[in-house]
Amino acid sequence: METLRVENVNKSFGALEAVKDLSLAVPPGTVYGFLGPNGAGKTTTIRMIMEIILPDSGQIVINGQRNTSADALDRVGYLPEERGVYRKMKVREALEFFAELKGMKRRVHGPKIDAWMERFEMTAVRDKKLEELSKGNQQKIQFLTTVIHEPDLIILDEPFMGLDPLNADLVKEVILEQKARGAAIVFSTHLMESAEKLCDAICLINKGKKVLDGEVRSVKRNFGRNHVALEYDGKPDFLVELKNNGLVESYNDSGNHVEIHLRNAASPQKLLAAAMQHVAVLRFEVVEPSLHEIFIATVKEN
Amino acid sequence: MNKMWTALRREYLSRVKTKGFIIGTILFPVFLAVMFVVPTLMMLIKSDKPKQIAVIDQTGEILDSLRVSLSDKNEAGDLLYNLIPHDAEDLEAAKNTLSVSVEAGGLDGYIIIPATIYEEGVAEYYGKSVTNFQENRSFQNAITRAVTEKRIQRSGLESEKVRQMVRGVDLQTFRVGPGGKEEKDEGMTFGIAYFLGFFIYMAMFIYGALVQRSVIEEKTSRVIESVISSIKPFQLMAAKILGVGAVGLTQFMIWAIAIGLLSLYGVQAASIFAPKAGAAQGFHMPTVSLGVLTFFVLFFVLGYFLYATIYAGVGAMVNSEQEAQQLMLPISMFIIAPILLIMYVIGNPSSQASVILSLVPFFAPILMLARIVVETPPVWQIALCLVLMVGTIVGLIWVVGRIYRVGVLMYGKRPTLPEILKWIRYA
Repeated sequence: METLRVENVNKSFGALEAVKDLSLAVPPGTVYGFLGPNGAGKTTTIRMIMEIILPDSGQIVINGQRNTSADALDRVGYLPEERGVYRKMKVREALEFFAELKGMKRRVHGPKIDAWMERFEMTAVRDKKLEELSKGNQQKIQFLTTVIHEPDLIILDEPFMGLDPLNADLVKEVILEQKARGAAIVFSTHLMESAEKLCDAICLINKGKKVLDGEVRSVKRNFGRNHVALEYDGKPDFLVELKNNGLVESYNDSGNHVEIHLRNAASPQKLLAAAMQHVAVLRFEVVEPSLHEIFIATVKEN
Repeated sequence: MNKMWTALRREYLSRVKTKGFIIGTILFPVFLAVMFVVPTLMMLIKSDKPKQIAVIDQTGEILDSLRVSLSDKNEAGDLLYNLIPHDAEDLEAAKNTLSVSVEAGGLDGYIIIPATIYEEGVAEYYGKSVTNFQENRSFQNAITRAVTEKRIQRSGLESEKVRQMVRGVDLQTFRVGPGGKEEKDEGMTFGIAYFLGFFIYMAMFIYGALVQRSVIEEKTSRVIESVISSIKPFQLMAAKILGVGAVGLTQFMIWAIAIGLLSLYGVQAASIFAPKAGAAQGFHMPTVSLGVLTFFVLFFVLGYFLYATIYAGVGAMVNSEQEAQQLMLPISMFIIAPILLIMYVIGNPSSQASVILSLVPFFAPILMLARIVVETPPVWQIALCLVLMVGTIVGLIWVVGRIYRVGVLMYGKRPTLPEILKWIRYA
């Protein structure tokens, strides 16, 4: 049984159709990337899952239970994109408060909170007010409130926003642990690199409609193997030329490193030969397309 | 239900534990005590020295009677005024000397009683300040009595007989309470009605604003979305209103106890500072009947729910406290109006206008309570009033619950009225 099933959900705000006939399924023990450009309907969908707004039609099922049924959402942890803290509350009090809001009993959550605080290096500030903490530490506390009750479904909207690399790694580590425990993690982001590394499956939505979904491996396979990663030394002008003479469909140049999408049936060897005429080639590799590439190509096509 | 309890407890503790709450709760009774003790002390200080008043008596016979009729004493039994006769031969010169003396502070004032006073009935008082109306009146009364006395003597009548003949009548007032029981009333009823009304008025403003601030705080700090993903918005709103209500009740209980202690021991406490004052003054706290107290608590609670709900709704619509203040202005009028009307209602508790005004749910906490204190309105009116209030509260909770659900997630532009109506319809 899937942990989360979204079934034919629609939602309009006046004339704007925010989500159109969206269906998706997330099995347990999966990190599920929920991707899409700004305004695609990601937050609206997530808010419908959390029953903060109600869909016009369709239904959402969590662990086989409608999300409208009592306490269904107690087994869910949610980190919204618009997030903040009770500024005047003490660190430990805030964690207790959210644990109890998720239905945890006082004597159960105590030791768990202590263990988490220890691990997140928060023990020293347990009696400090949240407003006295740095932004990064506040973020860590918010993240903790989403996992403290060991939920079956964890929904994270831009979880790495505002975290330094050290803390980002800590959060990533916890996400993977939760996955190993059997939780389903839905995770929405603009950062394709972190999605690429973490996700087992993705769903890409644009203008409220699903345009692509499935396991990351099969998504990439379906997108084709005509992608080349090229590292070079020299002027990037040759790329324009290659595109003009029909060899290259599109490219994504980061300066000295370029990801190239070949025109159908164009051979990578030809590209290598052409490139060597213009620049010094440092690395040449036929690769699977990155999620970044897939994202841009799919959204543009739409 | 458990979640609501969790949210309610947070709401309550986070407010009760603040310094503001502790200081405010302690300061109010202290303020009351000061209000009570200071006037007593002031009276004593004032009585240290009798006022020096010079008298130019051109009739040559009034002053002696005036000494008798102007013999006001303070609590300590000392004379308030010391009357000094002054030579009246050259009036203008005398006035000049005396004015200089008043100016310099040697005298507090002087009275001129002209020779023509029996016919024209005009005397003059010159003082550094003449705005103490109570003092002016006691001068006027004393001179009147002295002059009348002399007039009677001059007409050859026996002054004792005349005095008995024209003696005034003292009208004592009794309030017919429930069950036809009469009780003596010395203006206390008026004071109680006004004080209780004013207390509710203050409570609506203070605790209503507290609910509103709590809603806005969750919105501006962006914590709201995390919270309402775990507890239904309606439950959260209810927890907020009940939690702040409990804060109000706590404060209220502390004050009630403080006022109780003050009324029991206040006089004794005051007499520590002013030994001669307490007993002589014979001050006693007004007593409130159990029935009135019950209605007070009932209207306090209902009024609180009514206005706290409105405050919560407005809080959900706005982005900042400044915005809320603009929006609250017309709503505040509903709280202020009954305080402006209470004088009329106390004066005419059973007039048609009073009956109608006291039935309006927004005014009822203050006006119906005032009517209950000063008279006993028919049972059907009280019942109708309570039904109307409860109905209004239920309706408001329904509407505001919907506004709240949508409003707390809306940032940016303040919604227009049509938008709010849309929220209510679609939420």
